[in-house]
Amino acid sequence: MSVLSDRDLIQRARRGDADAFGELVTRHQVSVFNVCYRILHERTEAEDMAQETFLRAHDRLDQFDDERPFGPWIRRVAANVCLNHLESQRVTAQLDEERDADESQRPETQAEVREQSEQIRGALAALPAQYRVVVELRHFQELSYDEIAAELNIPLSDVKSHLFRARKLLAEKLHALDR
Amino acid sequence: MHLTDEQLNEYLDDEADDRILIETHIAACMDCAARLSALQALFAEIESLPEVEPPHSIAARFSPSRSLPAALPRSLTLTVILQAALAAATIIIAAPFVLQFISPRLSNLSAPSFTEMFIQVQTQWAMLLDALSTFHLPTLPEIPMLEFSSIFMLLAVVGASLLWLVGNGLLLRNQIK
Repeated sequence: MSVLSDRDLIQRARRGDADAFGELVTRHQVSVFNVCYRILHERTEAEDMAQETFLRAHDRLDQFDDERPFGPWIRRVAANVCLNHLESQRVTAQLDEERDADESQRPETQAEVREQSEQIRGALAALPAQYRVVVELRHFQELSYDEIAAELNIPLSDVKSHLFRARKLLAEKLHALDR
Repeated sequence: MHLTDEQLNEYLDDEADDRILIETHIAACMDCAARLSALQALFAEIESLPEVEPPHSIAARFSPSRSLPAALPRSLTLTVILQAALAAATIIIAAPFVLQFISPRLSNLSAPSFTEMFIQVQTQWAMLLDALSTFHLPTLPEIPMLEFSSIFMLLAVVGASLLWLVGNGLLLRNQIK
């Protein structure tokens, strides 16, 4: 099974081969989980959304163009799943800020945020949902502005403003923590 | 006149139309060069975020029951066909015996009262017990009777049981996993 390409596995999965789809999940679960974790900043939630991503991908396998690589596609699906999840929860930037402020008062969290990666994760988690997803698609999935606009079905001007504001907020947050 | 944040962002994202203009300006302007450098450092910081392993395997959480095989594998299909053929052969062989035993009783049936029916059931039960004590299988000349040794019969029963187990094991393999 491991010698098969993603394309072979997709074709088998389309014919109902559960093991082939299981192998696809095994291959891409780390990258998909990380997309979800960067956006959601909560491990259990990230696991649930990663699973949801694969279930959704399974339902849409027939629509997938297997001339394209599977990895970038499933990661974009994951970003959308997380965005929908955040929007359905109506998580606002204000709530995130409040949560962040609460966490910064806990001694164990203060210890964790000394780690640089935790600082970045914390700063990302404090961004509004739309900003987080745009940062994810630009910095981690390396999509162009046009591709992000198409993926999220938003105007190009919104992509730019979300991205630039997100970076400004991240810089402020990270530099404030450095001080 | 300095470069805007938008220009610097677009330049680093490879989305700027006026790249040469921006590069010329940066070469001459220390402030804009510093802003570009800070933005570049932020990009590097964001992208330095390491990947982490999920706490639990998502593949293990993923339920394959949503995607049961559309077509049964050939080995399983053959097992199912063999089981069906064995069941059909058993019915065909058993049918004459069953018919011979119940047909005389069916022809005498009428619509009795409850008491009569109760008495009849009791009578039939007593007759059945009598009949069973003296029952002998009728000889059917058209069916060749084969002599089977007890070891052969034992092997046949064990073989049939294994076949049944393998067949059902294959059918239920997705639920067992």
